[in-house]
Amino acid sequence: MIGLRRTDERLPGAEEAPSELRVGLIAVVMVMAFVIFVMRLFQLQILEGADLASRSHRNSVRTLRLEAPRGDIVDREGRPLATTRPAYRIRVIPNELGNAEREYRVLAEFLERDSSEFSEAVGTPRGRRRFQPVALATDLSYFQHAQVESHRYGLPGIVTDTTPRRHYPGKASAAHLLGSIGEIDSKKLALDITPKYRAGDVVGKSGLESGHESHLRGKVGGRNIVVDVAGREIEVIDEVQPIPGGRIVLTLDLDLQRSAEDAFRSVPGRRGALVALDPRNGEVLALVSEPAYDPNEFAGGIGSEAWEGLISDESRPLRNRAVSGQYPPGSTYKAVVATAGLSEGVLDPEEEVFCPGEFKLGRHTYRCWKRGGHGNVDLDEAMLGSCDVYFYKLGIELGVDTIAKYAKKFGLGRETGIELQGEMPGLVPSREWKERARGERWLKGETVSASIGQGFNLATPLQLAQAFSILSNGGTLHQPRLIKRSEAWDGSAREIPDEKPFEVTDLDPQVLARIRQSLVATVQAPRGTGRAARVEGVVVGGKTGTSQVVSLEHVRGLAPDQIPLRYRDHALFVAFAPEENPEIVVAVVIEHALGGGGASAAPIAQKVLTTYFEKHPVGEGASTTAGLDLESGEVRHDPAMPEEEES
Amino acid sequence: MSQFDRRAIQNFDWVFLALILLLLLLGLINLMSAAAAGVEGGFSGVVRRHIMVMGGALLVMGLSAAVDYRHAERFAPIIFLGALFLLALTLVVGVMTRGAQAWLFKGGSFQPSEFAKVALVIMLAQYFHRNPPSTIRRLRELAEPLMIAALPIGLILLQRDLGVAMLTLLVALTYLPLFHIPLRAWGGVALLAVAGLAALWSFGLKSYQKQRILDFLEPARDPLSSGYQAMQSKIAVGSGGFLGAGWQEGTQTQLRFLPTQHTDFVFSVLAEEWGFVGSTLVLFLFFAMLLWGLWIAHSSKDGFGAMLAIGLVGTLFWPAAINIAMVLGLAPVIGVPLPLFSYGGSALMSAAIALGLLLNVSMRRYVF
Repeated sequence: MIGLRRTDERLPGAEEAPSELRVGLIAVVMVMAFVIFVMRLFQLQILEGADLASRSHRNSVRTLRLEAPRGDIVDREGRPLATTRPAYRIRVIPNELGNAEREYRVLAEFLERDSSEFSEAVGTPRGRRRFQPVALATDLSYFQHAQVESHRYGLPGIVTDTTPRRHYPGKASAAHLLGSIGEIDSKKLALDITPKYRAGDVVGKSGLESGHESHLRGKVGGRNIVVDVAGREIEVIDEVQPIPGGRIVLTLDLDLQRSAEDAFRSVPGRRGALVALDPRNGEVLALVSEPAYDPNEFAGGIGSEAWEGLISDESRPLRNRAVSGQYPPGSTYKAVVATAGLSEGVLDPEEEVFCPGEFKLGRHTYRCWKRGGHGNVDLDEAMLGSCDVYFYKLGIELGVDTIAKYAKKFGLGRETGIELQGEMPGLVPSREWKERARGERWLKGETVSASIGQGFNLATPLQLAQAFSILSNGGTLHQPRLIKRSEAWDGSAREIPDEKPFEVTDLDPQVLARIRQSLVATVQAPRGTGRAARVEGVVVGGKTGTSQVVSLEHVRGLAPDQIPLRYRDHALFVAFAPEENPEIVVAVVIEHALGGGGASAAPIAQKVLTTYFEKHPVGEGASTTAGLDLESGEVRHDPAMPEEEES
Repeated sequence: MSQFDRRAIQNFDWVFLALILLLLLLGLINLMSAAAAGVEGGFSGVVRRHIMVMGGALLVMGLSAAVDYRHAERFAPIIFLGALFLLALTLVVGVMTRGAQAWLFKGGSFQPSEFAKVALVIMLAQYFHRNPPSTIRRLRELAEPLMIAALPIGLILLQRDLGVAMLTLLVALTYLPLFHIPLRAWGGVALLAVAGLAALWSFGLKSYQKQRILDFLEPARDPLSSGYQAMQSKIAVGSGGFLGAGWQEGTQTQLRFLPTQHTDFVFSVLAEEWGFVGSTLVLFLFFAMLLWGLWIAHSSKDGFGAMLAIGLVGTLFWPAAINIAMVLGLAPVIGVPLPLFSYGGSALMSAAIALGLLLNVSMRRYVF
């Protein structure tokens, strides 16, 4: 530039017109700008073109997830226990709001909420987040939804839609079996190798909802759409339809389930469990644990307050007592001990044993529940009167290990393998067990307690039902099953679960038939302790039981209703019917009952049996026997029990 | 007079006019795509108004070409004072739009600062005709032209339109290479400029303006809000690829991911839909027009005509350069429209005046 100047100076008239070269300098600047721009265009469009184009694509193409509705869980007759219903939802697109404050106030009035909740939920999003909908309220009532809908022109930016929501029409009914759902937790999300789940997804948390998650869930679909900058759908590019979750048909009979739950309503304290099985195949017909909870509360994300309430509730509503509750089986165990006696040949059922009301062993005296004693009793009379002394003697004769051997044949002392979480194994005591578990020698007196199902013995209601199923079906152990079949959502593909394992025990069918005979007497005989379980037109067998919670010293001299609830005995009853080829077994446990098994538990079993036989009248099976017809003639349905009650 | 007219018509610069008309047509076609995405005022409203403004612009261009430009030299102080008056008036009764008080009348329909650039160029051309740049050898001799330029720039700064003030300064600086001031003398100016920029950053810039500069330096800083425009523009340009998405087919444009796609970011639309081939061609035509303008300056036998032409090319070059640099992510986001392509009345009118005057100088270059 400096060099050029000199050239200018020498030219005459250079002052008049700008120098050619100086204008050229401006031209050079402009050409440089042009070259830079073209190079930049080359860089952006050719070199980085593909990358930027894919970002443009991501900008405008969104993949929407199409949620698959969760499959239904239905009872054996197709009645829904868990289903999915649409829930009305209100969302806001912040960018499209008019007067936000005013709109929140209007909404707050419709929804009976505080408008500050809404402004807090929305906040002040910036950038593209302004276009993304924020959920304000879900599961509105029809009326609330209609109010918002009819004012939508005054509420720009407020949109309503529906979202699938889990619904349990029976509320707390069968809650422990169905389980509950909730948002997936981060731990499970981290373990999920397939990208099936993402944060915020709803999954089964317990019960069948959890156990059959993959079947119930279905397969999410997707839709690729072109959206504009406001996220509005412009066109659909392609779509993969979601596959709705499959149906699960349970073995449960909702009628039985309901009648059992209704029966529990009248129980003081309302704590306990009931299991009804079909002894022929192990199908669970009813499974109740009281108190229960309403899984609907979990469906929308349970509040921490409600959750704390459930957790800290001293009646423990979340616990599934039917499989997790372990109770001393009490006198229901006498059926097991009698089977052992007959099978081992140490017991002659016709031989009479004298019951003076107590039994002496060394320096100890063991009382029969009946103070005055039963007098001379044979097996049938011992069973129907639930004579303790008869079984003390039999137990001593057999020894604890022989009793344990037979208890195990009945499936006691180990999990049944039902597909529910938290199943407990119960406990069948033996010499070896005590050595191992406690490091102590077995005492003979403990055999006395064991022979009437007290002491160390523990069983779950499900185990009791299973044991009586084996007794009823002539010695076959079926694993209890809950699922009748799984189906695709439209019923197209049916899958009957693999035959659950069963084992034919070496129990003698004739012995079992003889035991059933004495159990039938327990219910059907006029003085039978189980007579509250009688059902019109059906021959029922069963055994009562009362298990002590504390030793007698605590409650001596108190009237039954004066005893504090937690010191009261548990009442048990296990029944089967009809007498020939039993179709149903019902086990009932009532915690801290006011009366014994015969007074408290038997009427509940009776209600379930009544319901069952109303639906399945006896006759097809011709199961009434001539021998007991005579007696059933004088049987009156009389659940109120007299003073006489076992202990 | 009639003799002059005939010679002027004989010497009419048809090539330059052809370039102008071609660019205007391409601008209209591109705007029709940008407006189809949905704009304030609606597609037909925007396109109709743009065609009307174009008609007016052609008329104004014809007028600016017809009346002998040498009258402009005589009336330069009056034109300049008129422009200053309009700028001052805007300060008093102007309408506040987009953070600047730069518009007369409601709805941003008339922007005096657009015309002030042309008026300043006329004034400076007169000054440099009387004081030829080649005689200017000392920095202090620049004091007078600087004061002339400072008047409109100061008023525009008072309107708080920093972008346009800077642009007007750049237009004035177009004359810089013409001075015969030794290079070393510029050292002090450079120091002053750095100090001035530092002062500007600390005291003169609003926070959103600082944001834009920071976003330019680091585009990923805040891609969802303040850096959004620049990011989306780069995505739009890049996704055009070699041949482009096709007219009205660009997703960035049509789905409105591009902000202000019909005004400041109109070149992004072009780049996305017409690709590397189309946008390079348009750039080529635009720069050909500018260089042709410089050729007009060079060919002029009249010092005022030459100075005027250089300044007028500056009024077209600088907004175009800043706009394209911004669109391509080479400069921070400054709201400067692209002449002949962006939607907007005042900018198109002032461009029409500048182009008309260039035609004017061109067809009268043989007068002497």
